[in-house]
Amino acid sequence: MTSDYWNPKNETLPRADLERLQVAKLKRLVAFASERSDFHRRKLTESGVTAETVSSLDDLRRIPFTTRDEWMDAQSEQPMFGNLLARPREEAIRYHLTSGTSGRNPLRVLDSRKDWQWISECWAYGFWAAGVRPTDTVFFAFSYGSFIGFWGAHYCCERLGSLVIPSGNMTTDMRVRQIADMDVTTVCATPTYALRLAQAASEQGIDLPGSSVDKVIVSGEPAGSIPETKALIERQWGAKCFDTAGMTELGTICMFECSHQPGGMHVIDDHYIEEVINPETGDPVGYGKRGERVVTSFGRGMIPVLRYKTRDLVVKVPHDTCSCGRTFDVYEGGIQGRVDDMLLIRGTNVYPRAIESIVRSFDSIDEFQILVETVNNVDELTVRVEMKPDSGISFADICGELQEDLKEHHEMLRMNVAEAEHGSLPRFELKAKRVADNRRTKA
Amino acid sequence: MSVPDTDLLGNPLSELEQEVARVHASLEALVRRPDLPPCVASGARHALAATWQVMNDLDLPCSQPEDV
Repeated sequence: MTSDYWNPKNETLPRADLERLQVAKLKRLVAFASERSDFHRRKLTESGVTAETVSSLDDLRRIPFTTRDEWMDAQSEQPMFGNLLARPREEAIRYHLTSGTSGRNPLRVLDSRKDWQWISECWAYGFWAAGVRPTDTVFFAFSYGSFIGFWGAHYCCERLGSLVIPSGNMTTDMRVRQIADMDVTTVCATPTYALRLAQAASEQGIDLPGSSVDKVIVSGEPAGSIPETKALIERQWGAKCFDTAGMTELGTICMFECSHQPGGMHVIDDHYIEEVINPETGDPVGYGKRGERVVTSFGRGMIPVLRYKTRDLVVKVPHDTCSCGRTFDVYEGGIQGRVDDMLLIRGTNVYPRAIESIVRSFDSIDEFQILVETVNNVDELTVRVEMKPDSGISFADICGELQEDLKEHHEMLRMNVAEAEHGSLPRFELKAKRVADNRRTKA
Repeated sequence: MSVPDTDLLGNPLSELEQEVARVHASLEALVRRPDLPPCVASGARHALAATWQVMNDLDLPCSQPEDV
């Protein structure tokens, strides 16, 4: 049976049925979490929520939020995993972690054999939608370390029957050569690293647009849904770029971009409930309004996730915004930023994503960094850029236009622009950290 | 697709081995169906590879899952 959908039954389920399915799964999750996880039992008991009292999605709002701080505190009070585990540690087959906020322990997760099946299943929704099939050769450009990253996507591709090429121990140059030598059709990387690979290919004289690669699947950073960055990746690779997003707290992705590329990502609505709330009040916000995403996951057995506040900023729009036929709602523009990544510069809100979208509209810029400092008691923001050595365009050629564009898009806020020596700014394989806010460091 | 009578050594199958062989044959039949949506086809093939290994461990004759 050929199908554009990985799971045609659920991906085209009428919304009312999809919501009934979510309620049925939520009841099971509440019963499971209450019975098996001390962390959730206490919270659910205190809020008076039982599986029997869940009869509609409105009942979800009676369940308290879970925050990262709570999770970290639970781990600190009861090392190594806190009291969140719903199954004994002996049932786990893998351990992963993600870095914590400064000075704190990492967030640690365990997953069972069944959990890993589910993790790869969620990735399969996205990979199938991007057009990955058993005949594809898929290259994973990541380190295969303790960060969960693309591990699930790797298993997803094995499950699909695609040929998988891992590259954990390779340098960037080695990766690029192997992509060309092995007739790779699909490359998986962070958006930043996809650009880095393209830069390395150019330096080695490898013609990526003329290669077999026709799909670049990105994850790990919001940049995959920034139109200018996506367009740059597509130009440099001569391939379609598909965004996905997930988090270690879930173990896998919860949204993906389909081949219709509606300017956003579909939520995997049969495996999650995704709410959008006002981060200040906790009240729900409707379609088309920007807010914080809160996720409830139905798949992970070792660590149930109920109403987890992700700190991601999103705008949800109805499924029919996209013409692909899926009934899964869409996050317009993907992850639009983080609740806590906004910079306040002399009274103006500045989002790194907005700066990236402007910088990436200049083809001659290779890499950039946002530097924030206090100079004579005044906050100064400087966008440092590295020019492509072979573009034939100098920093002096674009400096004025870049500065004007940045100003126009930020309520006429003056920003500095400066040239950095080529190769001097940090490069990233996983999540890029392009903001150097020295005000906070000193505080 | 049929359940074998004996193992590769010619011994009759135990009750446990018969059950394993039935599960494997049932999965083989499922994988052969032309009407499987992608998620079912993929999951069933994954399961078939796992039951093939159990058959192999128990010396039970079966075809290669890739040939199904």
